[in-house]
Amino acid sequence: MKIRFYGRLADALGRELELEGGGQASVGAIRETLVELHPGAAEALKLSRACVRNAIADDRQMLSAQDDLEFLPPVSGG
Amino acid sequence: MSVVAHLEHVALDPQLELAELTEQARGDGAIVTFIGLARAESRDGDAVDALVLEHHPTLTRQSLEDIAVACAQRFNVSHVRVVHRCGTVPAGEPIVFAGAASLHRRAAFDAADYLMDRLKTEAVFWKREVGEAGSDWIEPTAADLADRDRWG
Repeated sequence: MKIRFYGRLADALGRELELEGGGQASVGAIRETLVELHPGAAEALKLSRACVRNAIADDRQMLSAQDDLEFLPPVSGG
Repeated sequence: MSVVAHLEHVALDPQLELAELTEQARGDGAIVTFIGLARAESRDGDAVDALVLEHHPTLTRQSLEDIAVACAQRFNVSHVRVVHRCGTVPAGEPIVFAGAASLHRRAAFDAADYLMDRLKTEAVFWKREVGEAGSDWIEPTAADLADRDRWG
């Protein structure tokens, strides 16, 4: 599964990473896996919204192997 | 009624945006606009060379449209215009133009205020200041969130 990051998360984890076996897991489970793999980015990961198929996704949402997952840190325009 | 929500990659010309809004607003009695500029100094007092606005390939444009449309529906305005830069904006240059036209001034004032409060906290951008102290991510402050929450 491909996971993309933006903002401060991209600084910490890179723009994109490939997580093996991500399909059939929930958004929340992937988030927890990433926190375990990258404890330095735990706070930013917990504050970020997840996005699947261009829509904000709840942590309970189940992912398929074809889904791309994105994590969006807090946003700010203006 | 018109609603414009535009993501600008290269350069934002506030005078051009105002001219277009004024042209659209024939017959109205008021236009209120806000222009946000890239600050030359950070909150800590360090010199800032530029503001870099990272955006999302689909959600950013959608967020601008959602905010502009909600504004048009909420207030008694004839026209709403939002133009927001992405990419690198040198200090002193415009980041955002938010304008509204209406028959009477109060609706246009409220609409512009509402646009900016939501853009500051909900427009899908990740901003960082780049300057002498390095690079710092800028996220909404408690005051920004409180301003947004005034609108319920």
